[in-house]
Amino acid sequence: MAKKMTIGLSSSCIDKLTGLGVILSGAAAEDLEVDLFILVNAGHAFLKNKAENLKEMSDQVQTSEEFLKSLEQLKTPHWIEFFEMAKDMTTVNILLCSLAGKIAGSDAKEDYIDLVDDICGIGEYIDSAGEADINLFI
Amino acid sequence: MTTEELKAIQADKVVDSRGTACPGPLLAVKQAMADIPSGGVMQILSSDAGTKRDIPRWAAKKGHEYLGDFEEAGFFTLYLKKA
Repeated sequence: MAKKMTIGLSSSCIDKLTGLGVILSGAAAEDLEVDLFILVNAGHAFLKNKAENLKEMSDQVQTSEEFLKSLEQLKTPHWIEFFEMAKDMTTVNILLCSLAGKIAGSDAKEDYIDLVDDICGIGEYIDSAGEADINLFI
Repeated sequence: MTTEELKAIQADKVVDSRGTACPGPLLAVKQAMADIPSGGVMQILSSDAGTKRDIPRWAAKKGHEYLGDFEEAGFFTLYLKKA
């Protein structure tokens, strides 16, 4: 039985999403099953009209322009591409907590990019975290 | 294996991930594993220093045999035998 990792994501900042993309890639290489829960303030990042053009940074050691330029120079994929690759390589369920949806302005699945598999409640996150071998909160 | 022995290996698949940063080489290796048969050998070219630790560790967990590596001309060349 595959090991399971559960991640709670509460940030829409591009540096944290990119870090999460790297972690998802490692999980995919290890064939881990991943449940990713989009919580609180993370819903914004997955909105169809925002995902491609995020500029917010949580860590101010670089501007978003410098950060994105360094990723390009290192041939590091955009965070959405990381997530897509991980989904192609292993089981990654991405669920949007309905509260995060409301905070972002919509809890309708069709307003979010295709990476989002469904809308959920917090109980599912708690259940998943209870079953997981690895738990991360970002 | 010695560098000379490694250089004499005829690989079934070459994965050139030079110029990509972590986790690019690991993902490229993982994806390319499907292209070689059991017992087949993969040669990996990487300019990312983390690869030298990451690939042997991953191979051991997956049951593949890590044959060795050498550094030459500014990049690493690594060899894996698929389980």
